[in-house]
Parts: sequence; C-alpha cells; structure tokens
Amino acid sequence: MSLLDVRRLRAGYGPVNVLHDIDLSVDDGQIVVVLGANGAGKTTTMRAISGIIPCSGEVTFDGRSITTSSADAIVRAGIAQVPQGRGTFPELSVIDNLRIGAYTRRDGGTSDDVERWFQTFPRLAERSDQRAGSLSGGEQQMLAIARALMSRPKLLLCDEPSLGLAPIIVQEMFHIIDSLSKEQGIAVLLVEQNANLAMDIAQRVYLLETGRIVASGDAATISADDSIRKAYLGY
Amino acid sequence: MIKIKEGSVVHWLIRLVWVAAVVAVVIYIPTKTTSGTVGDFTLAFEYAIAAMSLNLVLGYAGIISIGHSAFFGIGMYTTAVLVSRYDWSQGWTFYVAAAIAFVVGFLVALPALRLKGIYLAVVTLALGVLFPTLIRWDKLEWLSEGPAGIDGITYDDIPKWPLIGELRGREGRATFIYWVAVLLLVISYLVARGLVKSRVGRSLIAIRDNETAAAVMGVPRARTKTVVFGLSAAMCAIAGSLSATRLNLASPDIRNITLIGSITFLLIMVLGGAATLWGPIVGALAYVLLDARLRDAGETGEGIVGTVFNDWLNIEGSPATLVLAVILLAMMFVAPFGIVGLLRRIARRIVVIEPRPAGHPIDESNLPATTEAVAEVDEGLAPGAEVNVFADPTTTSGEPT
Amino acid sequence: MDRFFEALFLGLSAGATYSLVALALVVVYRGTGHLNFAQGEMGTLSAFMVWWFNDKGVPLLLAVLFGMAFGFLLGAATEVAIVRPLARRSLLAVFVATITLFLGINAYTSGVWGAPPDELMDSLFPNDPDDFVRVFGTIWRYKDIGTMAVTLIITGLLFLLFQKTRFGLAMRGVASNTDSARLVGIPTGRILAGSWAIAAALGALAAVLVAGNQGQVTPTLMVTVLTYATAAAVLGGLDSPGGAVIAGLLIGVGEAEAAEFAPGWIGQDMKLGVALVAIFVVLLFRPSGLFGTAKVERV
Repeated sequence: MSLLDVRRLRAGYGPVNVLHDIDLSVDDGQIVVVLGANGAGKTTTMRAISGIIPCSGEVTFDGRSITTSSADAIVRAGIAQVPQGRGTFPELSVIDNLRIGAYTRRDGGTSDDVERWFQTFPRLAERSDQRAGSLSGGEQQMLAIARALMSRPKLLLCDEPSLGLAPIIVQEMFHIIDSLSKEQGIAVLLVEQNANLAMDIAQRVYLLETGRIVASGDAATISADDSIRKAYLGY
Repeated sequence: MIKIKEGSVVHWLIRLVWVAAVVAVVIYIPTKTTSGTVGDFTLAFEYAIAAMSLNLVLGYAGIISIGHSAFFGIGMYTTAVLVSRYDWSQGWTFYVAAAIAFVVGFLVALPALRLKGIYLAVVTLALGVLFPTLIRWDKLEWLSEGPAGIDGITYDDIPKWPLIGELRGREGRATFIYWVAVLLLVISYLVARGLVKSRVGRSLIAIRDNETAAAVMGVPRARTKTVVFGLSAAMCAIAGSLSATRLNLASPDIRNITLIGSITFLLIMVLGGAATLWGPIVGALAYVLLDARLRDAGETGEGIVGTVFNDWLNIEGSPATLVLAVILLAMMFVAPFGIVGLLRRIARRIVVIEPRPAGHPIDESNLPATTEAVAEVDEGLAPGAEVNVFADPTTTSGEPT
Repeated sequence: MDRFFEALFLGLSAGATYSLVALALVVVYRGTGHLNFAQGEMGTLSAFMVWWFNDKGVPLLLAVLFGMAFGFLLGAATEVAIVRPLARRSLLAVFVATITLFLGINAYTSGVWGAPPDELMDSLFPNDPDDFVRVFGTIWRYKDIGTMAVTLIITGLLFLLFQKTRFGLAMRGVASNTDSARLVGIPTGRILAGSWAIAAALGALAAVLVAGNQGQVTPTLMVTVLTYATAAAVLGGLDSPGGAVIAGLLIGVGEAEAAEFAPGWIGQDMKLGVALVAIFVVLLFRPSGLFGTAKVERV
C-alpha cells in the first residue's frame, strides 16, 4: 500500500479549478517527481495535499484520509512541505526557524535535532543567530529543508526547490535530498520545472500539464521516451 | 428583469424621473414641513458634505483620515472669527475658510503622505485630537476665545428670493440656511463627480489599486494625492462654515470638531456606501433620521427602543450612537457597500442597464502624452460601476502554480 | 532640580500606563497586522467589570484577575467574530470595524454607567496621603512606584513569552510568515486570537491602573490614554514592543517636564498637543518610528 495515495484530486482558487482529477501515489521511502511547466498546477497540488487550500477527491496518507483535514493535523500526521520560494521566516533567527519546524513535536528531542542539522549544514551553524532573511538563496533552501525535516515527517513535499538557485547549489541540494531520503527512509514528493537533476534521483515520474497527469512511469522509461524527452527535457 | 440599453430614450427617462423626484423632495421640505424638520435636513446636508470630503480621499485613494474634524473646525472658526470680530459678511468667509483649509490640508499632506497606511492614519488622528486642543489653548485665546466659544454669528439681511418670497424670522432663517446648504451640497457633489470621472479621478483609482503600477505608468502620485487631500480639506471646511452659520456659534465643545466628529463622518460615509457618490448623502440622511428618532424614544422610554435599551440593557438616555455602531458592524458583513450598494443590488434585480460597447475611438490628434493616454481607458468606470473600497484588489484569486 | 526629578517620576508613572496600552497595540499589530482602535474601550469595559465584581464583594485583586480574564475572552471573541472575517476583505475594513467598536463600546458604557452614582475604585496600591517614599528629596508615591513596577514586570513577562515559549515562537512565526506557519503545523487561527486576547488583557490591566489612579471608573477613562498610547506605539515603531515601552515612558516624561518648566506655554490641554506634534516630527524623519522595521514591499 502506498504511503500517499491521491485520487481524482480537484482543487482551485475560488471559481477557477486548476487541478482536474489528479491521480498519483508515493510509496514508503520513495522519491517521486512531478514535472510540469509554469501554470501546470504544481504548487496547487502541493497546497492541496498540505491542506492549505480545500480540495475534493481522495487523499489518503498512511492509511488515513486527509482530504478534509486541517493543515496542522496534516503536519502532525507526518507530512512536511518545503514551499516554493523557501518560505523562511525572515525575521526569525536561523535557529528559531529550525525550532519552529518542530512545533508539532511533543517529545524533548528538538535540541538534539537542531544540533544534528547544524552538523549536516555547518553554514547554518555559523549563522545560527542571524536573521534568516539575510541568508543567501542556497542557504535559505538548506534551512527550509532542515526546518521541514525537524518535524520528523514520513513524507517530504518539495515545491520547486531549484527555483532561483545556481546550478551548482541545485546539484548539491538534490544530492542532499537524495541521501537524506535514503538514510532516514523519508519519502519525497518533488515538483519541478527543472527536469534533469530531479530525474536523476527519482524513482517515479509524473508529468503534469494544465492540471492533468498526462504521463507517468519510472524515471528510466520516461527519459527513454523521445517525445516526452523533447517536450520536457529539451533534448 | 428589464434590460435597458445605456443611452437609450428609456434610460434618459429614468434619469429624468430620478432627478425630478429629488428636486421635488428638496423643494417639498422647506415649504411643507416644520422648521424643525428643515433644520434636520440642513444638518444632514452638512454631514453629507463632510462625509463627501472624506469620501474623496478615502474612497478613491485609500487614504484613511480620521482628522477631518480639524478641517471642519477650521471652517467653523474662520467663519466665526471673521464675522463676529471683523464684521465680514457670511458669504465671503466660506471662500476664505475653504482656501485656508486647502492650504493647511496641502501642507499636512506633503510630508504625511510619505508615510505608510497606518502611520498616516495615526497622523490624521493626531490632527483630529490636536484641533480642539489648539482652540482651547490660552495662547490662542486672542483668536479663538478659548473654551468659551464665539457666538452671535448672525446675519440680518436675507435678500428677497424670487420664487420663495420673503424669508423672515426664525423660520425664514431656517429656510435660507437650508437652501444655502442645498446649493453647497450640489456644488460639492458636482466637484466630487467631476473629479471622479476625470483623469484625476482615474489616476486616483489607479493609485489606490496599485501604487507601483501607477507610478510606472507615470501618474504623478504625490502631487495628485496632495492636491486631492487639500480639496477634501476645503470641502470639509465649507461644511464647517455652514455649521457656524446655522448654529450662530462656534465652540470647542461641538462634537463635530473633535475626534468623535471625524469618526462620525467616517461612519456616515461607510453607512451610506463608501466610494459611491450618493453614499455620503444617503448616509447622512439615515444618520440624522436615526438619531432624531432614537433620541426621542430614549427620552420617553417608549416602544421597542425603550424596552430593549432602557430596561434590558440598562442604558439611560439616547442609544443613538450604540444603535448606529451595531448597525454599521452588521452592515460590514451583510452590506459592505453601504445602503447605496444594497439599494443598487436590489435595483439590479429589477432593471439592468446594458452598457454601451466600450471605447469611443481615441482621437489621435488629441492625445497628450503616451502615459496619460493609458489613463484615458475607460475601464471599470461604466456608469453605475461599484468600487468596493473594502476589497483589497491585490488579494483576489490569483495564485502561483 | 527637585522639580525635575519630581516631574520625571510623575512622568514615568503616567508614561507607564501609556506604555502598557502601547504594548497591547503592538502585540496586536505585530501579531496580526491590525491597529485596534478599540483597545482603550475594551480596557474600559473590563475595568467596569472589575468594579462590578468588586461591588459584589469580590476582593479587589481577585476582581482584577477576573477583569483581565474578561478582557482576554473579549479580545479573542473580537478577533474570531469580527476581525478574521473582515480581514479577508481588506485592512481598511478591519480598521473601520475597530473604530465602530470604539464608538459602540463607548456608547454602551456611557449609557449604562455614565451618570452618578460614581463607580469608585481604589488603587491597587496603598494610596493614603502618607503612602510615599522620599528619594533624593522628592516624593515618590507608592501607587506611582506600583504602576511602574507592574509595567516593568509585564514587559519582562511579555519578553519571556515571546522569546522563550513555544507559544511566543508561534506568534512570532505567524507574524513573520503566516503561510509557512501553517505549513509547520501552527494553528494560525488560535494564535491570532491569542494575540488579541493577550492584548485585551493588557488593556484591562492598564485601565484598572488608570482607574485606581483617578479614583473611579468612568466611560471616558481611556480615551486620552489611547491617543497617547497610539502615539507611543507609532513613535516606537508599531512592530517593536521594546520601542513601545520606551516611547511611552518618553512621552510621559516629556510632557511632565514640559508642563513643569513651561507652564505658561504648556497647559493641561496643550500637553497632549506637544506629544502629538513631537510624534509628527519624528515620523517625518523616521517613517517607521524609532525602533520599527521598514518592511520592503513586494510589488
């Protein structure tokens, strides 16, 4: 059984429906990538799953339905999101950004986890008391990922993590996501425009086009398909 | 539902009927009702002018002002001082009051409009609180007579009016003031209307909706806003002058020149319908009517009002303000466009005016400059278009994907 | 010099009440982005509740706690029922709503309690003519010391709340980035209501202090104080609690000293005028107040 199962998902803003019957699933520990151009509905999908916007259809996580759950209940259930544009708390310090990521946790392990992340990302440790808004794009992205993982989620949602970052940083970041996922068995659902690097770490790929899934399969098959490659990967 | 084409004969007929009805009411009041009622309407027109001035800046440019009572006071005191101390005739004082208020408003707006929304509102708050304080200040008593106030702002010669005949005594005076008020109200309405429909008006709306875009398009933000603020101050001062003439006195205790006055103007505007041309008038009439009725009921303790307020809630005296506040609060949820908005919504169920196809062809030879030409586009200002000042246009359904 | 110190002390005491209300305004502004024009009136209503409890035999201190609890609930209810639905429309709508509340609550309290017999309230602190301490030759009354002490303690407690508690972290998070706050599982609605609740409780306390100082609870108790407090909040920078406290004290001291040393120019009425003009001037040079942060607006 999949960890996350999405069926016939519909969501939109006011009278405008953006998503039309999306079906996708993510298994335990799997990395799944959703590719789509601007306006395809990637962020809408992320927001719907996280409960930020209302949606219809069926979203099941870990066996329980979360279609109509509140955003904070969904976080407690074990889903965390790294939003588009990082979503840092700019006025809060780096360490407070991490701490706030653990808001839903009731065990005492928060400070240990903070330590751990400082070890994984030494640059964040250096800037521990700095205002998060003053960090560079790449640093904020690391911070956002660490913050999301502070809640010890089973599923990590990443909304266009490569947006606005230099290619070298993007490479490093995907590498980190990949190893974190494998080390800790965290499933990852990643939406991206930037196909190349994302596909390298993915096990399954979906293609999203104007609110509909138009293709899906494992990464190798998708890359092998000429027409898809030309349309989405540009070569 | 009846559909009528804009500009057709039927449309003009409807407009004519409306105008005739309004004129009929306006003439009816001073001729057929008691002088008390006439006085009430005059008061309402006063409030209407003040609310209209507030409407200019707030409704169309999003500038929150709770300090217009100061301009009202400037008008009131200018008239009072000039008439009682320097023997001016009433009429000229109105002009002077407007001019002074314009200058003060302009000067205040120059630096103040650099401030962001809420900070600007606080500055206007300071203005509203400051004015009565200044009047009471003993250093200025040579001018303002301090807490005692100025009275005896009388006028004796009411000229013989052609159709209305001779006006004498208290009744005559009440009628005379009534007509002065009507005249001033009409002028204010025309000014407001002209402003809204003109290039200035459209640039105001542009500023309100998106400052940065407006700046990029070349709309001169600072200058426009400052001038309009000055105009608004002048208009409010005229209402103040009218008030001094009507009451024959000026005093720092008069509610309308204190902060409460500013708040009252604001609430009247909202009650009637912010950012609509008729809103202030309707709101003012509703307010005065409500106030009169409730005050009577409050004093005698009769009827529903008496029971609810005097017995259940233990309130003594007139619950007018409380009722107004409750109504307003409810209206913000139910009818955010005010009474006028509500009436329009109802009217729309019955009659719909189909607008002319947009765009009179632009006369190339008349184009001033490219950026200003953009402001000529007639979008969203079809007759009857409602501007919802309570909707933040930047938080609509546009979301990233 | 004696006069300077005496005025300084009185100014600090008055300023302390301005600071408390200014703090309330800042808590709401920082936490939810709105200016609560009705903050003072909500405090007045709570003070009347305190009087009512006290009148029924509840000891004053306990009545004050009840009054603060009343304020707490009133604040939360206002946020949930009025602010949140209107905030979806625009900030202006909320502002007008708080102004309407100001008028409404004022009208209500005036109607119910406006006429004699007066609602007498004792100060929370010993207030007999001989309850004072001599410092540097000037008289420091217990009640003024008490007022300042309460303000300092509250400021300290608020600081601890914001910086050291989970709830405070959530409040700061919601203020900084509401969307992300939802994404980390913070129940933003509860936090927003909490900000208004805490602010209203602060306002209640401030109103009780003011009432105690003047000996009775009146409907216009907090109207002037609100103006001073708004000035202080703006002067200090609307998103800076520390700024609000400092500004409040500054204003209190400033006007006391001005009244003391220039009584010919600055009478009772003009004191307020001086404060307002000073604020206006400061805002000209620092549009975000002394300690506020200027937000860069995204186009």
